[in-house]
Amino acid sequence: MSADATALVQPKEEWRKRLLLDPRPAEEMNHMVLKAMTTFGWRYWVVVGILALLALIGLGGAWGYQVLVGMGVAGIRRPVFWGVYIANFVFWIGISHSGTFISAILRVFKAEFRRPITRASELMTTFALIVAGMYPLIHLGRTWRFYWMIPYPNQRQLWPNFHSPLMWDMIAIFTYLIGSTLYLYLPLIPDLAMARDHARGWRHRLYRFLALGWRGTEAEWHHLKRAITIFAFAIIPVMFSVHTIVSWDFGMTMVPGWHSTIFGPYFVAGAIFSGVSAVVTVLLIVRKTMKLDYFLREEHFDALGKLVLVFSFVWTYFFFADYLTEWYGGEAVAKELLTLQARGPVAPLWYLMLTTNILIPWFTLWNKRIRTSPPALFLITLGVNVGMYLERYIIVAGYLTRNRLPFDWGAYNPSPVELLISLGSLSTFVLLYAVASRLIPLVPVWEVQEGQFVHSLRRVGRILVPSVSELE
Amino acid sequence: MEMLAKQDGSVIRLALLDDVDLAAENIVMLRELGVEDRDITVLSGIPYPEPVLGRPMTWERLPLIALSGAAVGFLIGVFLNAVTPLLYPIRVGGQPYIAIPPALVLTYEFTMMGLIVSTFLGVLWESTFPSFGPKYYHPRISEGYIGILFKAPKERLDEIVKMFHARGVQEIVEPEEWSL
Repeated sequence: MSADATALVQPKEEWRKRLLLDPRPAEEMNHMVLKAMTTFGWRYWVVVGILALLALIGLGGAWGYQVLVGMGVAGIRRPVFWGVYIANFVFWIGISHSGTFISAILRVFKAEFRRPITRASELMTTFALIVAGMYPLIHLGRTWRFYWMIPYPNQRQLWPNFHSPLMWDMIAIFTYLIGSTLYLYLPLIPDLAMARDHARGWRHRLYRFLALGWRGTEAEWHHLKRAITIFAFAIIPVMFSVHTIVSWDFGMTMVPGWHSTIFGPYFVAGAIFSGVSAVVTVLLIVRKTMKLDYFLREEHFDALGKLVLVFSFVWTYFFFADYLTEWYGGEAVAKELLTLQARGPVAPLWYLMLTTNILIPWFTLWNKRIRTSPPALFLITLGVNVGMYLERYIIVAGYLTRNRLPFDWGAYNPSPVELLISLGSLSTFVLLYAVASRLIPLVPVWEVQEGQFVHSLRRVGRILVPSVSELE
Repeated sequence: MEMLAKQDGSVIRLALLDDVDLAAENIVMLRELGVEDRDITVLSGIPYPEPVLGRPMTWERLPLIALSGAAVGFLIGVFLNAVTPLLYPIRVGGQPYIAIPPALVLTYEFTMMGLIVSTFLGVLWESTFPSFGPKYYHPRISEGYIGILFKAPKERLDEIVKMFHARGVQEIVEPEEWSL
């Protein structure tokens, strides 16, 4: 037998590039993540300063002004009483689906590419929910009356109306916020302990406090892993319920265009589409600014690009099912709504939405070169979120301009106060993320190391192929 | 383990290894030399399931705690949906005071909230977190090392150390108590 016949064929170059098949010493990986957290350039401070200023103007200034003067400063007028605030609320709830989908669903299905990206997406979930949670308060106008929603009896021994979808909304969002924050925190504990072991000064004190005394004993790991599994299974139905209930805020009304049985899954599909796209956009920025190229590789963007494409299909399916049912029904008011979209004032927004949510993803994301090109993927995923925002705006503010009484039709233009508050909330989200990215390890180092431990190249015949050992 | 060692005069040592197979072998060796499982604690930077290191399974009540929390959440949901409307009955939206379809939504949410919160509290309870006091530890654990912390009778220590050395483990240290 010749030496050539027994020689192993080298593994494909592509496999060598995979994070889980390219292990480095734990010390080096820790150093990479800690360095990314503790490196601050002047650009970082400029960006943080601008974001803080915008957040202050939007939430301190514009919202404060609205509280002081009253809801008259917002652009909502009869018949449009739900405007940009509710569109923003739905949009941010959608973004919050990023973390749960990426982290919990992919964990349950053991999708290994998830490992380095779970934390960054879970963080988005928590901050998006905080921003989303502000909007019902902003929309309330008299924000201080919020306590009426809290489930305890008032002076007349009256409890809140638990039959109301708005009540369901508050409880569901609260459940999701608690769940996603704890789900972010639990897998963070071992990495906080790692940071504690390496940090000095105030950081050491902070990480020591947050690590709760973690040592990495077998019992600690066992409980943590079991809890993460319970959380992953528990938070998936909560995620589905949250956006379904948000859709029921609309679906339970008799408003034309809103009273639809398909709104639940349609909103959920849109939320995941929007959330996964936002994860890609944020990860591309994180990789570039925090120099995390070792952890965030082409393979991750390739896989996420495929997910965005799949959810573009799913969203389109629900969108078309809803559209066709309205079109075929031939009801006069439904025709008006469809005309409003096709030739009315919101037509430019509607066509832009179709372009960014369907045309562009379908004609680009099938191509691996585009999926792995950071600038292209950045623009595509940013476009998807512009499109998803427009979809929410059309459903909320657009549909309300037409109803069953033509004498009561109207128009809606967001006021500067509404726009400033929207800008302020966007800045708040980015600001929270920018600050958190320098406070907590944005890559779950232990999960990556665990993945590298169970991955190897195994000989099959004359070739080496990637293989995963199932230890549990 | 730490408390007992101080009382019975035995010694505690920490062996640091960078290989999981070696760790598993040495745990077997410790057991053969009379060190009981309850006197061994493995510290690591990544989770190794107990069977990998040949260790007994950790006893836990977490699923039970989680289910109990879910049951409490369910009962809160039922109370809010089925009892509070009867405390001051007002007909809303033409619906009955106790309407099952909308009640299912909130009961579900409260059940899930109970499950989630109790799972978190269960982890803290089971792992006795937070626990910031001085404990045996070594920062190299977070650098990929596996630490085998064991308590052994003083008279057997030389033999154990010799066996560790024979298996290529050089770092067997008297562990320091770290204020974690």
